[in-house]
Amino acid sequence: MTFLFVCTIYFVLPVYWVLVSSTKSTADLFGSFGLWFAHFRLGANLRQLFAADQGIFLRWLANSVLYAGLGAVLATVISAAAGYALAKYSFRGREAIFSVILAGVMVPPTALALPLYLMMSRAGLANSYLSVLLPSMVSPFGAYLARVYAASAVPDELIEAARIDGAGELRIFARVAAPAMTPALVTIGLFTFVGIWNNFFLPLVMLSSQNLYPVTLGLTVWEGQTYRDPSFYQLTVTGAAVSAVLLIAAVIMLQRFWRSGLTRSGLTTGALR
Amino acid sequence: MCIRSRPSRWLAGLMVVLLAAISACSSGSARTPSSSGGVVHLTFWSWVPNIANAVSLFNSAHKNIQVTLDTIPTGSNGGYAKMLDAVKAGNPPCAAQVEYQEIPTFLLQNALVNIKPWVASSQSLFVPWQWNQGVYNGSVYAVPQASGPMALYYRKDVFSRDGIVTPPRTWAQYAQDAAIIHSHAPHAYITTFPVPDSAWYTALAWQAGTKWFGTSGDHWTVNIANAASQRVAGYWYGLVKKGMVKTENDFTSAWYKDLQDGGVVTWISASWGDAILRQNAPNTAGNWAVAPMPQWASSGFAASNWGGSSTAVLRGCPDPQAAAQFAVWLNTNARSINLLVTDGYGWPAVPSVSSIPSVTGNPKVFSFYGGQNINAVFQQADQNINESWGWIPNVQTTYDALDSAFASAANGNGTFASALTSAQRQTVASLSGAGLKVTSGP
Amino acid sequence: MSAAPAVRRRRRSRVPALFLLPFCLLFAAFFVAPIGYAVYQSLFTTQRSGLGLGAAQTVFSGLANYAAALRDAAFTGSMLRVLLFMAVETPVMIIFALLLALALDAASVRFPALFRSAFFAPYGVPGVIASLLWGFIYVPGISPVVQVLGGVGLHPDFLGPQTVLWSIANILTWEFAGYNMLVLTASLKAIPDELYEAAQIDGAGGLRIAWRIKIPLISGALILTTVFTIIGTLQLFAEPLVLRGLTANISDSYTPNLSAYTQAFTDSNYSMAAAEAVILALAALVLSFVFLRLVQRAGGPGAGGPRAGREAGRRRTGGRR
Repeated sequence: MTFLFVCTIYFVLPVYWVLVSSTKSTADLFGSFGLWFAHFRLGANLRQLFAADQGIFLRWLANSVLYAGLGAVLATVISAAAGYALAKYSFRGREAIFSVILAGVMVPPTALALPLYLMMSRAGLANSYLSVLLPSMVSPFGAYLARVYAASAVPDELIEAARIDGAGELRIFARVAAPAMTPALVTIGLFTFVGIWNNFFLPLVMLSSQNLYPVTLGLTVWEGQTYRDPSFYQLTVTGAAVSAVLLIAAVIMLQRFWRSGLTRSGLTTGALR
Repeated sequence: MCIRSRPSRWLAGLMVVLLAAISACSSGSARTPSSSGGVVHLTFWSWVPNIANAVSLFNSAHKNIQVTLDTIPTGSNGGYAKMLDAVKAGNPPCAAQVEYQEIPTFLLQNALVNIKPWVASSQSLFVPWQWNQGVYNGSVYAVPQASGPMALYYRKDVFSRDGIVTPPRTWAQYAQDAAIIHSHAPHAYITTFPVPDSAWYTALAWQAGTKWFGTSGDHWTVNIANAASQRVAGYWYGLVKKGMVKTENDFTSAWYKDLQDGGVVTWISASWGDAILRQNAPNTAGNWAVAPMPQWASSGFAASNWGGSSTAVLRGCPDPQAAAQFAVWLNTNARSINLLVTDGYGWPAVPSVSSIPSVTGNPKVFSFYGGQNINAVFQQADQNINESWGWIPNVQTTYDALDSAFASAANGNGTFASALTSAQRQTVASLSGAGLKVTSGP
Repeated sequence: MSAAPAVRRRRRSRVPALFLLPFCLLFAAFFVAPIGYAVYQSLFTTQRSGLGLGAAQTVFSGLANYAAALRDAAFTGSMLRVLLFMAVETPVMIIFALLLALALDAASVRFPALFRSAFFAPYGVPGVIASLLWGFIYVPGISPVVQVLGGVGLHPDFLGPQTVLWSIANILTWEFAGYNMLVLTASLKAIPDELYEAAQIDGAGGLRIAWRIKIPLISGALILTTVFTIIGTLQLFAEPLVLRGLTANISDSYTPNLSAYTQAFTDSNYSMAAAEAVILALAALVLSFVFLRLVQRAGGPGAGGPRAGREAGRRRTGGRR
C-alpha cells in the first residue's frame, strides 16, 4: 500500500501543479511557489478562458470531443473486427498482414505528415474534419491488442457452439466475441481516445482554420503567443487544466466498463477449461 | 499488405479503385483566391495576436478584396512547415506571416512570389533597412511589417539603491555596473546571457557593426567569426567567467521569476519586450526605465534589432497583385498599424510614427516606466540600425550551432569566440551541402 | 474449425476479409501509401546552384541520402544515444509498470479503480504541458525539488549535459508507465479465477502466485509492452523538443526523430528527413525482431496473449512442447 501511495504522489503531482496553477495570475504563475496557492482567481481565469476570441475554447473542446469520441469508437470497432478475424480465422496471408500492421507502428509520424497532407490536399480534404478523423480511425496498436485478446479470451468452443445454433458470423462477433473481449476493447477505446485527444501533429499539418482546431492545437497557438504577450500563459495553463480534468473524468468513466467485462469473462471462462 | 490471402485479392483491387478515385478528385485548382462578382477572396495565415482587427479593418475599407484570416501556430511551432507544405500541395494561402530571418529559407524552397511590380512604388513608405529585409537579388519578396529595435530596460530603483546614477552609456560601464550590482546583493545579476537563445546574441553582434550574412554575385557570404563579433563574444565570455552575469535562458519560468524579484535587473531587449515585463512583473510597476543600448564606440550611436516580421505572398497564389496590395495596406495604413502596435507585436515598419496614437502616447505603458515615453528611445533606435544586415537560407542551422557551442563553452569546453568559429564552419558546410555557392569570410 | 463441414468453411472464407476490410483500407490509405511515398522521396535529392533562388531540380540519387545520413556524425551520434536510452529505459519502464499492475491486482488493495486512474492520468496530460511542468521541476531557481534537495546539501543539475537524458527518461516513465500498466492489467483480468483458486488450495502465497502464475500467463502482454516501449524510446521526440527551450544541452539532432523533424521542418530537406526516418524505422524493426527471437529462444511464448502465446509457441517448435 505504501508503494501505491508513493506512486500516486509521483503520478498526481504534475496534474496537481496544473490545477494549482490554473488558479493563479500570470505574475503569480512564476512568482509564487508552484505547489501552493497564491492569490486565488480561478473564476476570473475561467471567465477569461471561455471569453477569449468569442469563446473559441469551447469550440475547440467540442472539436476534440468529436475527433476523439467518434474516432475512438470507430477505431475500436474497426480494430476489434480486424483483430478478431486475425485471431479466429485461419487463412493464407494472415501472418503477413499481422507483420505489416506491426511494421506500420515502427515508422515515425514525422515522416508521414507531409505525404498524408499531400494526399488529403489532392482529395480536396485538407483543412476539414475528415482529414483528421479518417487517419485517426486506424489504430495498428488497437488491431494488435484486439488480436492478442481475442486469441485468449474468446474460446473456439463458444464460437463453434454458436455456429451449430445457426448464428451468423456477424452475430457471433457482436454477441459472443465482443462481450468476451470487453476489457481489451475498453483499453483500446481508452488509448485511442486519449491518443487522438492529445495528437498534435496530425491536426497541425491538416488544419488551418481555427474553427476546426482541437484543444491541443489551440493551446499551442496560444502558447506560441506567450513570447510576445505573457498573459497567454494563463490562458494556456487554465485551458490545459480544463482539458486535463475532462480527460481524467473520461478515463474514470470508461474504467467502469471494466467491471462488466470482468463478470462476462468470468462467465466465459467456464467454457474455456 | 492483404495480397497473399485470396479473399484479400479483391481488397487490393478495391484499394486501386479508391486511390484512383482520390487522384481523380485532385482538383488542381488552388483554394484561394476565388473571385465572385468582381470580388477577390484571399486567405491570410498569421499568428499575430489580434491581427484579426486589422484584417477586418482592411475588409471594411475594400469592397473588391476580401481577406479571410486563419490563425495558425507560430512559425517555429509548425507554422512555417504548414506554409511550405501548402505551397508543395499547390493550395497555399495568398498572404502569410514570415519573419525576416526566414525569408531566404522560403526562397530556397521557391515558396515566395516576386512582388516588385506591385510594391516597388511603395518603397518610400518604409524604413529603408526594414524594406531591405525583403529584397534578395534585386527582387522584392516581402512587405515589412514590424521590427524589434533594441534598448536597455533597467531597474531604476535598484540602480539608485546601488549608487549608479546614470544608466551605462558604454559596454565598459555596463560591465562595471554588473560588478557593483552583484556585490551589493549576491543573488542579483545585471542580466543573463541566454546560452540557448543565440538570436539574442546575433542581435548584439549586429549592433557592433558586423555583417554575418550577405550575397556577392551568385555566392552567399558567411562571416560570423569576424573581429567585431569576436569582440562581443569575448566581452560576454568575460562576464560569464567572472560570474557577473547568469547563464539562465530567457523566457523560462526561472527567468520570469528573476524579473519579478530582482534576480535580474536589466534586460537588453526589443520594443516588444515591454509587454513581457509589464504583464509578468506587475509588482515592479514604476521601477523600470528604458535607456539607449550601451555603445562600443565612444562617439556615434548604433542600436540593434531583435525579431522582425513581414507579410509575404506565397507561390501558387492566383492573384499576387491583390495579395501584395493587402500586404502594403496592412503595414502602412495608420489605423491598421495602430491596432498591431497596441497589442505589442512590434515596432512599425514606417518611418513616421507621429500619426500612430499607441506609439506617441500610451499612458498604460508609460506609467509602468514612471511616466517615461519609452517609445522615443525605440524610435531613435529604429533609425540607427546597421542597414546592411541580411540573412541566409536555413539560418536555424547557425542558431543551433551557436546554441550548442555556447553551451559547451559555458560548461568549460572552449570559449564563446571559438563558438563563433565553429558556427561559421557548420554554417558554410550546411549551405554548400545544400548545393549552394558560399564564400566564407567577408 | 477442422470439425466444420467443408461447405460452411467455404462460405466463411469471405468472412475474415469482410472483418478485415475497413481496417485494411484505412491502413493502406493512411499508413502504407504515405510510407511508400516517403521511401520514394528518400531516393531523390534536390540540386541547386548559386544562390539557390528559384526552382530547384530534383534528381534520382539512389541511396545517396542514406549514405549521407550514415556519414553524418550528428545523426549516428543520435542513434547511439537513443540506443543507450532504450537499453536503460525499457527495463525500468516495464518493471515499474509490472509492479504497478501486480500491486493493483492483489486482492487486498482497496479502490483499485481510483489508483488505476491516478496512474493512468499522466497519459491524459498533453506532452507539451507535461514537459512544461517537468521543466518547472528541473529548472534551478524555482524548482521545489532542487530547493528541498539543496536543504540537505545536494545540488542536482537536472539539465546538465550528462543528466538531461535521464531527466527525459523520467518524463517518459511518468507519461507511459500507467499506460503500460493498463495493458498488463487488462491481460491479468483475462486470467481465469479458477487458476488462482487452485493455487490457493495448493497453499501458494500472493508473491508465489504472482511469480508462478500471473507473470508467466501475461508474458504475452509483457512482450507486447516491451516491444512498444522499444519502439517508443527509439522514436523519442516530443520531450527533448520541448526541453530544448530550457537547456542548450539538447541539440536539434539530439534524437534521430528530432533530426528528421529538423531536416523536414526547419531545413525543408524532405528527402533527407525521409531517409533518416526509414533508417530509424528499420532499426526499430530489427531490434523488435531480435528481441522477439531472443524471447523465443529463451523458451517463452511469442508475442500474444496467454493462449495465443502458447499456440504460437507450439507452432514454432513444431509441437515439440
